[in-house]
Amino acid sequence: MKNLLGTVVALVLIAAATGFLCYRMNFDPALHAAAAHGDAMAWLRADFHLDDRQFAEIKKLHEAYAPSCEEHCRMIQEATKAHGALKASDPVAAAAAERGLRGLRAVCETALAAHVRRVAAIMAPEEGRRYLAMVLPKIAEFDHTAAPDLQLNRSH
Amino acid sequence: MNSSRDSISEALHGWRVTPPADPGFRHKVWQRIGGQTSTTWPAYLRAHPAVWSLVAVVALSAAALAGTALARAHVQADREAIVVTYLVDLDPRVQAVLKP
Repeated sequence: MKNLLGTVVALVLIAAATGFLCYRMNFDPALHAAAAHGDAMAWLRADFHLDDRQFAEIKKLHEAYAPSCEEHCRMIQEATKAHGALKASDPVAAAAAERGLRGLRAVCETALAAHVRRVAAIMAPEEGRRYLAMVLPKIAEFDHTAAPDLQLNRSH
Repeated sequence: MNSSRDSISEALHGWRVTPPADPGFRHKVWQRIGGQTSTTWPAYLRAHPAVWSLVAVVALSAAALAGTALARAHVQADREAIVVTYLVDLDPRVQAVLKP
């Protein structure tokens, strides 16, 4: 009985150690830290194995993209407000405003897709492909009427 | 017939077994009892190799799979969370919804 109990306890301990080891081998602490801090640049660096040069170039690209992103954001907000104001009073003008809004969103989507393709081009080819496979579907699936976290998780 | 039966009965009645006294008998009995209870652990495992090998393989494989699956699930959840953060920062359409 003592031997049986000892064997079971030893097996449980060895199994727990094995499970922990496999967990540590497959877990990515850098990715976890980036996600915990909401640090997207740290995520890019860790997850796509960027070297210093690649990281600096991508950071520069993001910084260059930020003003056009803000400008697009402002234009969409204005078009949304105009559409909202015209909705009740002038349906014809509201329809035209909605077409304009859709056009703006399409321009944004194209600009963003082009931006992420430029980012991917800086990465190693395999990492770039993985990055695009991760972000492009989410950009295409964007639904402006839903909260971003809900709709962006929908594909999984 | 009856007389032969009687003689056998008499012989059996008169039969007495008188084994020679063994001074170490008691000691030997305790030794055997002690030997049964204090089998060493390696000896115990050697006595049941098939069962414990199978249990060990199953337990270690299950633990390895569980550890790997849990880590991958955590990595996937982290990645999902940070991709959302990343695209919220980059996508003007999202910012137009979120900004006041």
